[in-house]
Amino acid sequence: MVRLLPPRVTPGVPASSPPESPPAHEQRRLQSASGGGRRRDAGDPVPALPAARELWLAVHLPGYVLESLRAGVAASPQSVEPLPSGQCGAESRVGAPTVVVDLAKGGRVVCDVDARAAAAGIAPGMALNSALALEPALEVLSRDPRRERALLEAVARLAGGFTPRVSLEPPDAILLEVRGSLRLFGGARRLCERLRGELRSHGVESRLALTPTPLASLWFARAGAEVALRRPDALPARLAPLPLSCTRWPGHVLQSLLTMGVRTVGECLRLPRDGFVRRFEPRLRLELDRASGRAPDPRLAFVAAGRHVATLELEPELEDTARLQRVLGPLIDELCGFLQARGAAVESHELRLRHRETPATRLRLRFAGPVSEATRILDLLRERLARTALSGPVRSLRLRSGPLVEATAAAGDLFGGEHRRTAAVPQLVERLRARLGAGAVHGLSLVPEHRPEAAQGEEKGDVSLFPSSVRMLRGKSTEKGKRPLFLSPARPRDDARARG
Amino acid sequence: MSLDDLLRHPALWRAREQGGASAPAGLPTGYPELDRCLPGGGWPSRGLIELLADRTGIGELSLLMPALARLCGPADDAPATAGRGPRGVEHGGDGWLAWISPPHTPYAPALAAGGIDVGRVLVVQAASAEWAMEQALRSGACSAVLGWAGCRDRQSLRRLQLAAEQSGCFAVLFRRLSDARESSPAVLRLALEGGCDGLVLRILKSRGGRATSLRLGTIGAVVPHAH
Repeated sequence: MVRLLPPRVTPGVPASSPPESPPAHEQRRLQSASGGGRRRDAGDPVPALPAARELWLAVHLPGYVLESLRAGVAASPQSVEPLPSGQCGAESRVGAPTVVVDLAKGGRVVCDVDARAAAAGIAPGMALNSALALEPALEVLSRDPRRERALLEAVARLAGGFTPRVSLEPPDAILLEVRGSLRLFGGARRLCERLRGELRSHGVESRLALTPTPLASLWFARAGAEVALRRPDALPARLAPLPLSCTRWPGHVLQSLLTMGVRTVGECLRLPRDGFVRRFEPRLRLELDRASGRAPDPRLAFVAAGRHVATLELEPELEDTARLQRVLGPLIDELCGFLQARGAAVESHELRLRHRETPATRLRLRFAGPVSEATRILDLLRERLARTALSGPVRSLRLRSGPLVEATAAAGDLFGGEHRRTAAVPQLVERLRARLGAGAVHGLSLVPEHRPEAAQGEEKGDVSLFPSSVRMLRGKSTEKGKRPLFLSPARPRDDARARG
Repeated sequence: MSLDDLLRHPALWRAREQGGASAPAGLPTGYPELDRCLPGGGWPSRGLIELLADRTGIGELSLLMPALARLCGPADDAPATAGRGPRGVEHGGDGWLAWISPPHTPYAPALAAGGIDVGRVLVVQAASAEWAMEQALRSGACSAVLGWAGCRDRQSLRRLQLAAEQSGCFAVLFRRLSDARESSPAVLRLALEGGCDGLVLRILKSRGGRATSLRLGTIGAVVPHAH
């Protein structure tokens, strides 16, 4: 028997094409020798296993229901990620055992518990009255699907810093295609640790799994098995021991399979193909094929919103502009992460401070050019805040970016000489305009006009768009007699006549 | 630390600069008689320059034009040996020219005819002209800053001088003749008076030079009024 070793797939290197198909009489025996061999009927075509062109990392959020509520965010679809648990909103008392109920489903049934409630013996699916009997000091929150969606999108935005290909798998998972990012982050393990650490710092627990197909990663992550597989041919073997509950197939399908004695994914894979299709929906067979890599699985990319909106509820209310400035720091950092992931910049920004009784204060910032650096935006915000008198304590603030424009990053010089200067001009103009007013700073331009008072124009606006006079000067011979360098305002006629 | 910063470090001794390296070369003013009177043969490469004049339009800007044309001219017109002096101002290149609270609007066709790239000119009308001038000097974006500021107190003058010294910008501050009586930390102080046959310059203070007086022939035309 000829044994062909499958090609080794190393990260970052495209796998060579799969070995040419062995002669027909060897084929069947080879298939049964490889892992997860399933009995096939005659005439069934053998789909070839694709080379690992992609590596998908699935991030499953097991406690997403509770985590989406445990934050001081407003329930807007484009909210910022929840704050670290030290800054909890007033909604949940820190440390109290908490359960979440789903009001939409009628009768009060617990759908999620936190660690302390679980320690008291409360489990999801229990009636609320039983839970209250077990733990009288229970805190009850109600589920909010909008907030859950916002949490998922926030996690996806965070993942956008690791790879451009992020796809949502609602309600509680996202998928990242990371083969291109492995080298940048120094390997799969480091990437996973970093991602996990960042999510944890925002108060979100996650389970990660890395395999060549998105569906398999999802199933592993749901089952809690944190695997890292690179070779697609090992996938059917590893999928075998997974329980069928991680596929989240409809209840009646799982029940039928259970009565047939099929409990794991491996046993499902071994079932005859056309029989399975006839008995259950074809989509389930397609999912099995996709998970083992035999069928392609295209995913819709997650595209973040066109504008970045971040909201923050302040508890306690702040009156001091200095404290406000400090609070703005992390929000601006998130904005810049968002901009960096999109390769974009903003030209204007709005900060809205909501007070309790008085109408909201709005601060509009306009930049001299497209900006994507955190320090510049923060400087300008601080300058404006320092000049603003607050009409009352601030309850919440909302940062809304202007429309996104494409960011132009100047190529760096090896010795870093000239470009520092051109980059500093818009900053200087912004700082001057922030303190002195938008009309205080302008440039000059030449107008082809014979009247001296009309021969120049004032340029207000984007500094990088000031027209250069080089082209106008070229070819012009030196004029006879020098022109004066100052243009004084017109004087009344009789004064000029008196002077002679 | 870029290579340029390293070459400018005072702890670095360059063997080629054996003779006469104590006085850094200045930026040529464009007027040979003035060059002869100034130490370093030109405008000081670092530090604040004060021009004291009571009236505008006597030629105080034309005095600066050759140096400004060299600093803020169009980039492709820079001289072939564009680069830095040993410790000095950049010639040609990318710098901007900032006018802080000028008494009248700068006339763009004249600036262009004088050799300045009008697209790199910034005009700032500021109530707090000293603050704006200091910001412009510290930002590193401008290679020349002309400011008209009252500067009533020594503190603001010192700050401007420090900013000019650290940034290496060509910084010129215009004040009134009556301020000549007060002392100032500026590196070079010139008093300008318009005479019927030209500009009369008095060098009140310069580092390493003597107080002299000289007359330059008509360098600028009188400011006409726009009818």
